[in-house]
Amino acid sequence: MSTTNKPLIFTVLAECKVCKARVSKMILPHKEVDTPVFMPVGTQGTLKGMLPEQLEKLGLQIMLANTYHLGTKPGPDILKKAGGLHKFMNWNGALLTDSGGFQMVSLLKLAEITEEGVKFQSLNQHKSEVMLTPEHSIEIQNAIGADIIMQTTRWLDRCLGAHSKPETQSIFPIVQGTLYEELRIISVNDHTSRDVHGFAIVVEKAKMISGKWYTYVLTFFQKNKPRYLMGVGFAVDLVVCCALGVDMFDCVFPTRTARFGCALTMTGQLNLKKDFNPIDANCTCSTCQNYTRAYLHGIVTVYPVACHLLTEHNLAFQLRLMKNIRDSIHENRFPEFVADFMLNLHPDRNYPTWIKDSLAAVNINLL
Amino acid sequence: MKFIVRNSKNRAPRLGLLKNIEGKTDVEIETPVVLLHTQGGHIPHVTHEVFKLVSKEPQILQIPLVSMHNFQETMQYYNGTISEFIGSKDSLTCLTLQDPSNLTKQGHHVKEKIPIWTKKGKVLYDSEMYMNIVESFKPDMYYLLSDGDTNKSSAPKRISKRKSDVLKKTFVMAPIAGGYCLKSRERCIEAVLANESDVGGFLIDGLHNNGPEVEFLPFVEVKDVVEHVIKKLPPEKLCSVQGCWNPVSVLKLVQLGVDMFDTSYCRILTERSAAMTFPIDSIEETDNFEINLRQPKYVDDFTPIMYSCQCLACSKYSRGYIHHLLTVQELLAPVLIMIHNIHHYLRFFKKIRECIRNNSLSDFENKISEQYKNHQEKVLSAKNQDEPRRFF
Ligand SMILES: [Zn+2]
Ligand SMILES: [Zn+2]
Repeated sequence: MSTTNKPLIFTVLAECKVCKARVSKMILPHKEVDTPVFMPVGTQGTLKGMLPEQLEKLGLQIMLANTYHLGTKPGPDILKKAGGLHKFMNWNGALLTDSGGFQMVSLLKLAEITEEGVKFQSLNQHKSEVMLTPEHSIEIQNAIGADIIMQTTRWLDRCLGAHSKPETQSIFPIVQGTLYEELRIISVNDHTSRDVHGFAIVVEKAKMISGKWYTYVLTFFQKNKPRYLMGVGFAVDLVVCCALGVDMFDCVFPTRTARFGCALTMTGQLNLKKDFNPIDANCTCSTCQNYTRAYLHGIVTVYPVACHLLTEHNLAFQLRLMKNIRDSIHENRFPEFVADFMLNLHPDRNYPTWIKDSLAAVNINLL
Repeated sequence: MKFIVRNSKNRAPRLGLLKNIEGKTDVEIETPVVLLHTQGGHIPHVTHEVFKLVSKEPQILQIPLVSMHNFQETMQYYNGTISEFIGSKDSLTCLTLQDPSNLTKQGHHVKEKIPIWTKKGKVLYDSEMYMNIVESFKPDMYYLLSDGDTNKSSAPKRISKRKSDVLKKTFVMAPIAGGYCLKSRERCIEAVLANESDVGGFLIDGLHNNGPEVEFLPFVEVKDVVEHVIKKLPPEKLCSVQGCWNPVSVLKLVQLGVDMFDTSYCRILTERSAAMTFPIDSIEETDNFEINLRQPKYVDDFTPIMYSCQCLACSKYSRGYIHHLLTVQELLAPVLIMIHNIHHYLRFFKKIRECIRNNSLSDFENKISEQYKNHQEKVLSAKNQDEPRRFF
């Protein structure tokens, strides 16, 4: 047993004999996390009206927070005074913060990357220009106190230098798109720095992680460190990318879509006035235990509680899918699980090409 | 369901008990009681699952028909009760027409029909339609249809004679209309008593048009009517009012003999980001009657809304966190404020019952009145001080 204060201990427990999928345990300062894991996004230190008590009950182990948003409000001073975000928001599970840099570039059209940092127009009323330097980003992320913090590869060394809590917070470098140069920086850093405990990849869509590119990326990642695919979270993407060997995912979709009255189901839509069934008869969430489709249909988009009820289900849905994936890897039947999943989704066997190709690259053939 | 008065020596204030509840024989509810105001079947911002973290005691949900009208057709195909349908099968329900937390738009009545303003516009309800709703919703309690208008001419004419099995089991209450005219009120009471021998209680209706204004309705304006109506009503029956009465008005209404209220006051406070902080137990030290968590001074206040409060919001979350949630407009802010407000208001009613038992209600009323007066003065002087600043 290791007693060193490592902020992340990653142990692979089982691997698929056919594809690259694996089940692991990731021990973080605040929580042990079972991977492959889906992490919902609690941008501003809260998750769509859900109490942390409810999230714990759902079995949620880790969620995301946004460095840029929290750095603006309440700001690092308040977060420091509050004793970190965990205490501030009463969340006992693990937290992960993004770099606040890269994401902003895609969010704000006026953002500009320079060697010094990311320059963008502030969201505050003065619309003043703000320069977010890597050092500042790390300072905010240290104040937030997340278990895992992210940094763009370009500034990795500057961040590792500015990192004030290496015993309690791990840094993951982010590989953007297919930048060959960035991969090389990572490769170098792997050997020079023990503070990198995992890797993150950003792509615009899951389908960009098609077989060949991914195998290429993999050669730069050490097998004994977690791989995090940022911004991906549709059920089908999760299944494909688990087969490719991804360990961590995040996406705003399941929580954002609840506000618009959308409940996640494997098949079918929820819009039936006289349908007294739950959203999903196989779901054990409290929403499916207590409410009918007809009732939810009548209150969605009208009352905030409806959003809470759908968020509960949507999170339960994502967590259940990940558990099914982990169980099937453990029980050595993951390729069958994938094939059944895809057939259920495409009964006509008209599978999208990227799915067929990606899965074929890891030796999974569809039914 | 049966209502019994416990301390029958005094006409008011009084303690009572709702018991022999159909299907829930082990449940007894003490009065004065506060119904949990709902919209669309839920306490605003608080799901039934979250409410279980606030209180596990049996509650009566107040179901305003105006917020449930869109389920009218659906409920005709549903076999269960309204409490099952909205996902709170252990709660009791009380069906009422209007939402006490929203101002009721006044409209012309078309013959025997009463207008309600749903999110899809005006809908006219007549007695037939209304009783169909009652039969399909199967609430534990309901009010007979009344226009609740404050205009003086409201007459007690809309009383149904229908008696199905469902209706026989339900606790019926008759609204007493008549506005601020004592004679009209008397006529209404006489007619109700002559026609409806088996009503379990009454609603003193038509005191206001609902909505946030009720909080500031001077009690002196309603005192005479309420006193007069209660005097004329049979003392063994339940007496209720609806609306966002402030805590002082609630105490004064209890003093006159009112048995039943609702939590719509909690909603209007929560909507303006305010948390109740008036002291309930004598040992509680608080500096304010209510606090507005939007105020900048709470940004680094890591203390709970109230130290002495045991609610989930106060035991785990700080004023500073709620302030943050409010400034970034997150859904959890009203959830936490509402959890505290409902918890506090339920405690307030528990205290009222305790005070009646110990004959100390007047002392409690004086204390709360004093606090409320100080609070209002503070609010007014703050307003006056704020005024010049706006012109800079
Ligand atoms: Zn569910
Ligand atoms: Zn409280």
